[in-house]
Amino acid sequence: MAFSGQGREFLRLLIAGSLFQIPTFGFYRFWLITKVRRHLWANTQIEGEAFEYTGTAKELLIGFLIALAVLAPLYIAYAILGVVLEEQYAFASVPLVVIMYVLAHFGSYRARKYRASRTVFRGIRFWMKGSGWPYALRAVLWDLATLLTLGLALPWAMASLERYRMRNTYFGSIQGDFAGTGWSLFKRGWWIWVAGLAGLAGGALLAIVLATLSLGQHEVLLHLALFLLILIGLALLPLLLAIFTRWHIDGLRFGDVAAASSFRAGTYYGLFFKLIFSSLGFLLTFGIAVGALGFLFAGVFKEAIAAAEGLSWISVGAGVLVAIGYLVALLGLGVLQRYFLGRGLWAAIVASTTIINLQSVDAAVAAGQPAGVLGEGLADALDFNVGI
Amino acid sequence: MANAVFYDGESARRRAVSLIITASVIDIHEGSEWIASWPAGEVRQREAPDGILRLTRSDASSLARLDVADAELQATIRLNCRHLDDSDRRERTGRILVWSVAAAISILLCVFLLLPILAERLTPLVPISYERRLGTAVDNQVRAIFKGNICEEPRGLAALRSLVARLQKARPGGPAVDVAVLDSGVPNAIALPGGRIYLFRALLDKAESVDEIAGVLAHEMGHVAHRDGLRKMIQAGGTSYLLGLLFGDVTGGGAIVFVSRYLVDSAHSREAETAADDFAGRTMVALGRPAHAVALLLRRIEGDKEEDGNDFRIPAFLSTHPVTDQRLKALEKQVPSQPGEPLLTQEEWRALKEICKTT
Repeated sequence: MAFSGQGREFLRLLIAGSLFQIPTFGFYRFWLITKVRRHLWANTQIEGEAFEYTGTAKELLIGFLIALAVLAPLYIAYAILGVVLEEQYAFASVPLVVIMYVLAHFGSYRARKYRASRTVFRGIRFWMKGSGWPYALRAVLWDLATLLTLGLALPWAMASLERYRMRNTYFGSIQGDFAGTGWSLFKRGWWIWVAGLAGLAGGALLAIVLATLSLGQHEVLLHLALFLLILIGLALLPLLLAIFTRWHIDGLRFGDVAAASSFRAGTYYGLFFKLIFSSLGFLLTFGIAVGALGFLFAGVFKEAIAAAEGLSWISVGAGVLVAIGYLVALLGLGVLQRYFLGRGLWAAIVASTTIINLQSVDAAVAAGQPAGVLGEGLADALDFNVGI
Repeated sequence: MANAVFYDGESARRRAVSLIITASVIDIHEGSEWIASWPAGEVRQREAPDGILRLTRSDASSLARLDVADAELQATIRLNCRHLDDSDRRERTGRILVWSVAAAISILLCVFLLLPILAERLTPLVPISYERRLGTAVDNQVRAIFKGNICEEPRGLAALRSLVARLQKARPGGPAVDVAVLDSGVPNAIALPGGRIYLFRALLDKAESVDEIAGVLAHEMGHVAHRDGLRKMIQAGGTSYLLGLLFGDVTGGGAIVFVSRYLVDSAHSREAETAADDFAGRTMVALGRPAHAVALLLRRIEGDKEEDGNDFRIPAFLSTHPVTDQRLKALEKQVPSQPGEPLLTQEEWRALKEICKTT
């Protein structure tokens, strides 16, 4: 596989789209995400043949409105219930969180279904079966198991859920499958799990020691050790993600077509470092620019500000400027994140993947229909990440 | 000669085809066999990697695709097919902008024009029992905000109860209230929907006589009697929910927390304050006590503010209250015909002031 997109073009698309979000109160996000997907899909090629994304922004907007229609009554009902129940408990919002959590699993399945059915390759549509509820049930049960086994069940959970997703995914008439097993993932990453547990236990122990004893000079050392533990944990994360990515890609199947990944952890580290340093650089530049501008404005309008009493146009204007500055900073960080972790990761994964037996898709015959957009709407409304 | 790739949308087979392009139609042949003819007006372009022109027909549900890599052929197609780029998929940025702004304006109009009217009309319709429930919900949030530090020194509590009882007796048929002192450094007092009143410790510290505190309590009882808390809550809840919608927070999870904060931090309307002052004035006159004591307390707090500099917020019940001077004048007009006995004994007053001291 190969990725042919130009970084500059993608960056321009991101920046323009992010700026448009300011005057449109964020509504432009549907158009931006559609453009991003079109760019990524169209530039992803297997042996010179590119994918195509056929979804539209209008569909996403409608999905958001549907989610609104589903969630608004839910919220209002909950608010009324909350008023009745909260006589006993402050912040008795646990049931709502549970509902949202189940909806998030459901929505993520439906969002995948939407995206699959908007993906076209060689004039044939991908599509998915299933409604999402059985998947949500499985996901909840696996989450419980993972929690109860302190994360030991996680590889099996991931394998089982991905197998469910892939077996319900079709390329035309060819059924997908997932060959990865929990055991194979566990074999590749078990030591990270052990290290993580040990680190967690060590950290807890340290925290207890810190809380009970005051050790004078040693206290600083202990704090340092705790900080180091957290840092090491964070440093291991890209490695874990890289192992997972490779295992994931290696397991993908469509009929006789298989995928193999040579994805390296180093790529992940590189992207993370780029993201961290570019974000720091951006914030620094932004801070300096804002400081300089503020200094300038204060100089020019000093008398005007002093003369103005109470709520004047100047103070309102200043408030709006501050809000816009804040938005720009936030959107800027979003652009960097999408550029490195969205596009960068996508391109790296695509480039490191090899497709085997591609000729066997010749037999695929068109099947399946475009799926509804509720999942994407839920994902947007509930702010959970379903990927690009 | 094959110079393009055709996918018929029915199978994934890749078909090398040759094109014959005229001004009105693109004819597609595989070898010598004719496959399809696409009218030039119906040919549309889709996204593709650089260097490849990907064509389809305007019928959006069709997945038939024609990939043209040859530059010369691409130029010919562009020349003959005039409608490559117009489809319903083309984005009209202006329209998106206009409708977003329209949505924002309509929500803002709702917030500033409709909600106050709604709150005004809705408030009398809410049964007292329901208001009390709402009040309890808000009360829990307020306690969470202030870490629930309620002052309960027994003798102080007894003094507070007797003060509240006297105030209530002065206005028979007045609202049922439940007063508590919150251990907070901000000089403030708030009335929640349903009759709970919080007196903040700093206000007690600043007070120099019982009449001042009695005036504040009577003022807050005025708010309870007029159901100002409920009105404000409907308004703030609606506002936060509508604004949340605009910015994509559908669940409105932030709404209740926001409302609680808003009740604490912000003021009632000027009319509501004047009405509450009036209520307080009548109560104090009925007890034969000077009504303007509360204004003295407010003025003292304001004076302290100016000495301290502006770095701490003016409490809400001062900020948009009618200016202290005006209130003082309005209250001074309410003079009791004959002075009544003090509301608390010296001893009780001292106990009330020390209600937050724990042994």
